[in-house]
Amino acid sequence: MSETILSVRNVSKNFGGIQAVSDVSFDVKRGEVLGLIGPNGSGKSTLFNCVLGQLKPSAGEVHVNGRDVAGLRACDLNRLGVGRTFQQLSVFPQMTVIDNIILAGQEHHGTMLSRLFGPPDAGLTEEAEQMIEFFRLTHLRDELAGSLSYGQQKLVDAAMAFMAGPSLVLLDEPAGGVNLTMLGNLKERLQTYNESHDTTFVVIEHNMEFVMSLCSRIIVLAEGAIIAEGTPDDIRSNQQVIDAYLGG
Amino acid sequence: MPEFIQIMISGLSAGSIYALAAVGFTLLWQASQTINFAQGEFVMLPAFFVLALMNLAGFPLWLAIAAAIALSVLLLGMVFKKLIVEPMLSHGTLPLVIATIALGLLLKEAVKEFYSPLGQPFPSLFPQDVFTIAGASISIPDIANFAIAMGTIIALQLFLQRTRTGRCMQATAQNPDVAQILGVDIKRMVLYTFLINGALAAIASVLITPIYLAKFSNGEVLGVVAFTAAIVGGFNQIRGALVGGLLIGVIDNLSATYFSAEYRQAVPLVLLIVIILVRPQGLLGTAEGRTV
Amino acid sequence: MTRKNILFAIVAAALLIVAPIGQGNYITYVLCSWLLFSIAAMGLNLTLGYAGQVSLAQASFMGIGAYITALMTLNGIHWIVAMPCAVAGTFFVGLILGYPALRVRHHFLAFVTLAFNTLVFLVFRNEEWLTGGSFGLVGMPRPDFWIFSTMKQLPFYYFTLVCFLVAAAIFWWIVHSPWGRAFKALRENPVRANSLGVDTRRMTLLAFAIGSAYGGLAGALMTPLVQFIEPGSFALIHSLKLLLMVVVGGAGFFFGPMLGAAIVILMPEVLRFTEGYYLIIYALLVIVLMVYSPNGLMGLGGKLIARFRPQREVRRDMVQGAQL
Repeated sequence: MSETILSVRNVSKNFGGIQAVSDVSFDVKRGEVLGLIGPNGSGKSTLFNCVLGQLKPSAGEVHVNGRDVAGLRACDLNRLGVGRTFQQLSVFPQMTVIDNIILAGQEHHGTMLSRLFGPPDAGLTEEAEQMIEFFRLTHLRDELAGSLSYGQQKLVDAAMAFMAGPSLVLLDEPAGGVNLTMLGNLKERLQTYNESHDTTFVVIEHNMEFVMSLCSRIIVLAEGAIIAEGTPDDIRSNQQVIDAYLGG
Repeated sequence: MPEFIQIMISGLSAGSIYALAAVGFTLLWQASQTINFAQGEFVMLPAFFVLALMNLAGFPLWLAIAAAIALSVLLLGMVFKKLIVEPMLSHGTLPLVIATIALGLLLKEAVKEFYSPLGQPFPSLFPQDVFTIAGASISIPDIANFAIAMGTIIALQLFLQRTRTGRCMQATAQNPDVAQILGVDIKRMVLYTFLINGALAAIASVLITPIYLAKFSNGEVLGVVAFTAAIVGGFNQIRGALVGGLLIGVIDNLSATYFSAEYRQAVPLVLLIVIILVRPQGLLGTAEGRTV
Repeated sequence: MTRKNILFAIVAAALLIVAPIGQGNYITYVLCSWLLFSIAAMGLNLTLGYAGQVSLAQASFMGIGAYITALMTLNGIHWIVAMPCAVAGTFFVGLILGYPALRVRHHFLAFVTLAFNTLVFLVFRNEEWLTGGSFGLVGMPRPDFWIFSTMKQLPFYYFTLVCFLVAAAIFWWIVHSPWGRAFKALRENPVRANSLGVDTRRMTLLAFAIGSAYGGLAGALMTPLVQFIEPGSFALIHSLKLLLMVVVGGAGFFFGPMLGAAIVILMPEVLRFTEGYYLIIYALLVIVLMVYSPNGLMGLGGKLIARFRPQREVRRDMVQGAQL
């Protein structure tokens, strides 16, 4: 019996007169790769931000590992075991790749004082190098993250999100702007990581092919509500979904 | 009681002038995310333009004032925007904050070195007659300052709300991307904001300098008052700056009379700190979204 | 610490040790002044250059440190006890001031520190019973360390130098520790840092408090150096000067503050004719730098060096062929 990592219950969010999300509920079990898709304005980002604690839902609750996340600061949520990637501006440009990754892990190691008086790398060099190798970035270890290509930065972003060993990772349009070859690489690395670490993923994406091949389950949002839920095959042949994307 | 009324009146009069400086400050923030730490010096400087034009170029007072306002609009508005603000927009807010701090220092020291470190008398624009109503003495300058300052702000409000250009400026401040798509020349709108600030600062300068002497250090106090008024009132709207200015004017006068003379300066400062800590959106402002 | 760095540090320390030899008392005094302003600027560099917060109160922290030290040494307490009190005191004041101010938007810290500096100045000026008011405090003794007295200018210089080297070493340590990495992350991408577990509020507050404590240390050194302190020395204009020092030198660079302080303190000495104008020149320099090289002179130096060096291989993957 797989445990529920993320539980979204009757979440609604309105901004003044605009109902961005209406009564959305779903659960995500450990190890699942859930895709969240929908046309622009369907409420994906709003829902995403509610899960991240950035927005307080107008109604409903979000629980991660059993804990209510409403009002939690991003750093606290991260310590609960939630990682995330960003669409843009996702790395620390003036720091080296390895520094970026050590940073991602150091806040989960030891205490404030041990981080001041302990070694400069917080003892994480080896672990960081392993992570860098996993993403095949070893040759870029000492480059400034800002000098990397966009696709490479996305890999670093993912490496940072995984470094602290989160139980849940929220990926915000990981495929956006990445070229085809790099995309294949990214997808393969994400799949391998998910399989070996049993980490739960929730992916917001526009790139249909990416989502369909990566995710085991897909939820489709339109105008703030769930209009379909199921395996990629189910979704592909679902008339409502086709209408939502192609219709007016 | 008459004394109290008197204090209220001179407080409102001074406060309306502070409001001019605060409104300009708020406009710059709204339109271009510029925190102008030199705002105090912007209000100090035009008075010296007037003095220089009168004493060195022999201009009559009214011509000197008109020229000073024009100069302020040009230098403190356009030149400031093009030479300093624009090149720095890509660097983020921090360099700009530092640059305006440096600019304030530059203006202050320049006046001190190139004009005079001593306070200079500044001619009053209005007859100094005083008349008594209900036992309280009210001077013509008090009324005139209030009328002119409030009149300017009301005219500004009308301009922003009733004219096409004004509404374009508001649109630019609220959502520049959308405004641009709708065909608004946002660069020009932002320029207008700076020009308006130059004018507001000049008017404030000419109204307030006769009360004190014209001194290079005036900017320090005026600057603090401008920020405090803008923040206390509510950093995201003009109404807030107006209310903030009037409030500070009244409170300042009240504390000069009823509170300690030595700590008079402290009152707006404490108010600033308290408001930032307790209600950062200001008295009239709306709470902004949560930050990281 | 790479070998190059250690060598550099030794050479620098050696230069500092021989600097005042053969120079008159006045030059030695100026060098002491430079060292202690470097300490204050170093602290401000942490707050501004690493954590990205504009503090306009550094002079007031120097003042608090100076007055605490003065009051204690005038009452017979040795400097070696007074100094830690000054440092601890300013650290806590920094915490108390920063805690609420940083919970809201960070551009408010500039305003809060501006107001705070002026308030502290008013207290120094008005509370004559404690601070001597406008008359200030006078006659603070220079510390006596049993085997040597710092009464004369040269020994006092070496005493200041030791304090400076220790302060610089501590700063180096902090900046190269995981805390330093967190501070840098805070400056470069605070949203990302927060999402990785960096408690940005706490780290910003720490940077501010540590920066203030460095200001307190500088004040504690100022008291025995000048042996007369008055409120005017810690007014807002001095906070602005310190800010300019850090920015011109190069915020976020280790040696930036030293460079900036050298320019502010030495420029009027070296270029006599600039006496009245040096602030104007300085302010102009800051504005120009902010437009062209927001990283100050150190940053400018870095850019120039990069231009003269053969083009560095930025993307090593291009050498090995695309690795996918």
